[in-house]
Amino acid sequence: MIELINVSKTYSNGIDVLCNVNLNIGKEEFVFIVGPSGAGKTTLMRLLYRGENPSSGKVIVDRVNVAELDAEQVPYLRRNIGVVFQDYKLLPKRTVFENVAFALRVTGAPRSTIRRKVMQSLELVGMLRRASAFPDELSGGEKQRACIARAIVNNPPILLADEPTGNLDPTTSWDIIQLLEKINKRNTTVLVATHNKSIVDDMKRRVVALENGRIVRDQQLGGYNV
Amino acid sequence: MFSNIEFFIVEAFRSFKRGALMSLVAVGTITVSLVLFGIFLLLVINLGNVVGDVSSRLDVVAYVDKDISLKEAGALQIELAKLQGVTKVRYISNDESWKEFRKDFGAKLDLNEVVRYNPLPHSFMLTVRTPELLSTVADEVVKNDLVVEASYSDKMVAKIKSLVDAVRIGGAALVILISIATLLIVVNTIRLTVLARETDISIMKLVGATNTFVKFPFIIEGIIIGVIGGVSAFLILKLAYDAVAMRLALALPFLPIMTDQGLLLVVYVVMIFGGTALGMLGAYISVSKVLKQKF
Repeated sequence: MIELINVSKTYSNGIDVLCNVNLNIGKEEFVFIVGPSGAGKTTLMRLLYRGENPSSGKVIVDRVNVAELDAEQVPYLRRNIGVVFQDYKLLPKRTVFENVAFALRVTGAPRSTIRRKVMQSLELVGMLRRASAFPDELSGGEKQRACIARAIVNNPPILLADEPTGNLDPTTSWDIIQLLEKINKRNTTVLVATHNKSIVDDMKRRVVALENGRIVRDQQLGGYNV
Repeated sequence: MFSNIEFFIVEAFRSFKRGALMSLVAVGTITVSLVLFGIFLLLVINLGNVVGDVSSRLDVVAYVDKDISLKEAGALQIELAKLQGVTKVRYISNDESWKEFRKDFGAKLDLNEVVRYNPLPHSFMLTVRTPELLSTVADEVVKNDLVVEASYSDKMVAKIKSLVDAVRIGGAALVILISIATLLIVVNTIRLTVLARETDISIMKLVGATNTFVKFPFIIEGIIIGVIGGVSAFLILKLAYDAVAMRLALALPFLPIMTDQGLLLVVYVVMIFGGTALGMLGAYISVSKVLKQKF
């Protein structure tokens, strides 16, 4: 599903964020990307949805080299990748329903389809009764659920979550991870970049550890540390 | 794409309302720029009118013998009319000239008291097509035995001609400059409204919106801003021009102030469509620029 071949990324200020990374993630896997701040977790995720281009190497998503994609094709790539952020990135002047619907509107889906899919998505994340609330009125956990609902409303085969529990308390964090696992069981490949040691240790999933832009460990049923 | 149009329009109005202050600034900018543009356009047209009015007096006056008979005069008029470049020949009897002359000086003294008889000759007023023809026509006219003298004011014509050219060229250049300046101001004002919505744009791009999709609501918003700005400019300009033109016409009746409703309508239509085009083009340029630089 996802394949990185000899991927390096150097920023214009000369800092190497990723060095010669090789990674292969199969369909419907659930993978944690772990490592200290600045290890290159976020950059790795951004490469997958063409938030950035690699300096060298191939980034293959669903058999397509994302690095060579035409600019006009990028929107269609992104419709197949749901992204969840630490800071949620919800539109403040719109309700939860409108925020989720937004991701479908840009695809030009008809109104009836939008309504049905948004409702399904909100139900899955447990936010149906908060559909008409504005982001300001939500708790951190609720905001993250709304963000996840938006990410999966298109039924993307891939879901990326960059520090999804970074701003949440431990109980809420656990709920969010459970939700991501639930989505993974609905045939979605899920990548979670995180610092959260206890969650990684408790989940016992594949763990890819990054340090200074290199993969230092790739372990099935792993923990946060070796 | 068609199913999206409703979405775009709703989004555009929503954004216009949400950024009310910024939208008003943009509307105000377009209004002020267009009013200035309109004032200038009307000035150029009117100045052209004045100059055109003066320069259309391309006359050669042929003075003929005082004792010419009416029959001879008729024959001469036909002959003069045949000259190349002459568009009109008018016979002015010495009585008529005398009356005109006395009218011009009449206020100061009664000429009939000083001069007992009419000293003026009969004359023909020949209108020629272009200023260059004045001297050749005059030369031709003098060759006729019945014509005593032919005169035209050639320096003034040359001056008027260069003034006409200056007004036309300078006016066109200034109109182009002002258009560009207006567009730049509008682009930068709308750019602020686009930048104020950077987060929205980044989220749209993230969930897979195409650039066209992102641009559309901004362009519609630009059109709304432009239409409001254009109509305001039109109203301001129309009220102001009507008031000023009426007063000027009363105070300086000899000035050929343009009151041709057809031409005025053209100016006003240019205002409204110009505003719409400015808003649309300004939004398109600024949103494209922001998309290119940041996303």
